[in-house]
Amino acid sequence: MTAPPVRASDRPRVLEGPALLSGLADGPGLVAHRRRYGDLPRVALDDLLAALDRLHVRGRGGAAFPFATKLRTAAEGRRRPTVVVNLSEGEPASAKDTALALARPHLVLDGAVAVARALGAREVHLVLPCERPRAVAAVEAALAERHDRLRTVLHTADARFVAGQARAVLELMAGRANLPVTAWTPEAVAGHRGRPTLLSNAETWAQVGRLVLVGEQRYAALGTVEEPGTTLLTISGTTPRVHEVPYGTPWREVLPEEWAGRPVLLGGFHGTWVPWEDLAARTVSVAAMRAAGTPLGAGVVVCPDEPPPAYTARVVDYLAAQSARRCGPCLNGLPALAAAVHGVADGSGDAERRAAELAGLVSGRGACAHPDGTARLVRSLLALRAEVAS
Amino acid sequence: MTARLRVDWPSCKARGLCHELLPEIVDLDEWGYPVVGGEVTPDLLADARAAVRMCPRLALRLERPPPL
Repeated sequence: MTAPPVRASDRPRVLEGPALLSGLADGPGLVAHRRRYGDLPRVALDDLLAALDRLHVRGRGGAAFPFATKLRTAAEGRRRPTVVVNLSEGEPASAKDTALALARPHLVLDGAVAVARALGAREVHLVLPCERPRAVAAVEAALAERHDRLRTVLHTADARFVAGQARAVLELMAGRANLPVTAWTPEAVAGHRGRPTLLSNAETWAQVGRLVLVGEQRYAALGTVEEPGTTLLTISGTTPRVHEVPYGTPWREVLPEEWAGRPVLLGGFHGTWVPWEDLAARTVSVAAMRAAGTPLGAGVVVCPDEPPPAYTARVVDYLAAQSARRCGPCLNGLPALAAAVHGVADGSGDAERRAAELAGLVSGRGACAHPDGTARLVRSLLALRAEVAS
Repeated sequence: MTARLRVDWPSCKARGLCHELLPEIVDLDEWGYPVVGGEVTPDLLADARAAVRMCPRLALRLERPPPL
């Protein structure tokens, strides 16, 4: 199997941050956690929903979907909901969920437990990354310290890029192959065993956990009026670094100095290339970056030594190999797209037109967004080249 | 009221019957998989229902636009 251009790490450097990642020196244990935050309060669902709405809390897995909308949908179902904490972090360049598992597992668990109680859920499922054994051990150690009187069920996701996709996770929980299937209804309507299922990644749960523990006012003390709070970023490298920054922080303060002038791949392998100058002029913001066509995604930034075309070709090779090989357009289209991108890197005549054509052809045609994400990456490479050429 | 034709991609094995029955909106890509080119307008509804019914892989569904 084609190796990923960046290997999944369970040894990120976790930097002290203003909220989730504050007080790292105290360690990840429950006693220190309770000393810092106090006991986990019970919250009423309506109060929680109102706070989440006011604070515009969004999912941190990449799609930035409003968390309150998902929670409300799960709560409105007739059956008892199920809560899922997705720690699988299938994107190898990302290490933020792993960082939380290692350094702040009880914030993640408090978020899931508080919401499970507010929803009347009895089960919390945790999906762990098989490629990152230190994260698995950290979560198991944290669970052993707690007595939440909820059933916790552990699952281990495969080492595959698409294994963390919501439907692939539900398949894993159902005892089937950990691969995406067509979602006819949102999982918050009908997910695990047909129950409303609230599935979010570890950072989302940690943000909700902190909100419940410290209250709305302290949550909103950081960030901007439109986007309160903080977000986690992974600065990719031999040892990835996980930063926590308030929304509105200028990228210039975050990007390593040695990256100056080089194109940056923002949002990981399903992300977009951005010229350094463009990114350095912006702030860390979901809305502004989405408007600029360079979504923040799960907050991964990569700046490879290789030129973008050659690096993208390697990434698309890897992504093609990561296909679940079930959907025809992905199974056939991604290898063809990889060949076209190699053509672009080698400077062969018609390769750019072919790459653009294939990117258009695979988009929106799969059980999951794997072809769409790959197409987005390729399109951004073509746009970057056009920008450099003009 | 228009409807949307959705493909269950993991089930689809490029048999191509949908294109035969509904060439107005279903094209085939270079590997024989369907490319759905538009919404199912009322005049195409009967053919679209036939395509859903006759797909040998049962990989097509007709959906009303989502309420959101």
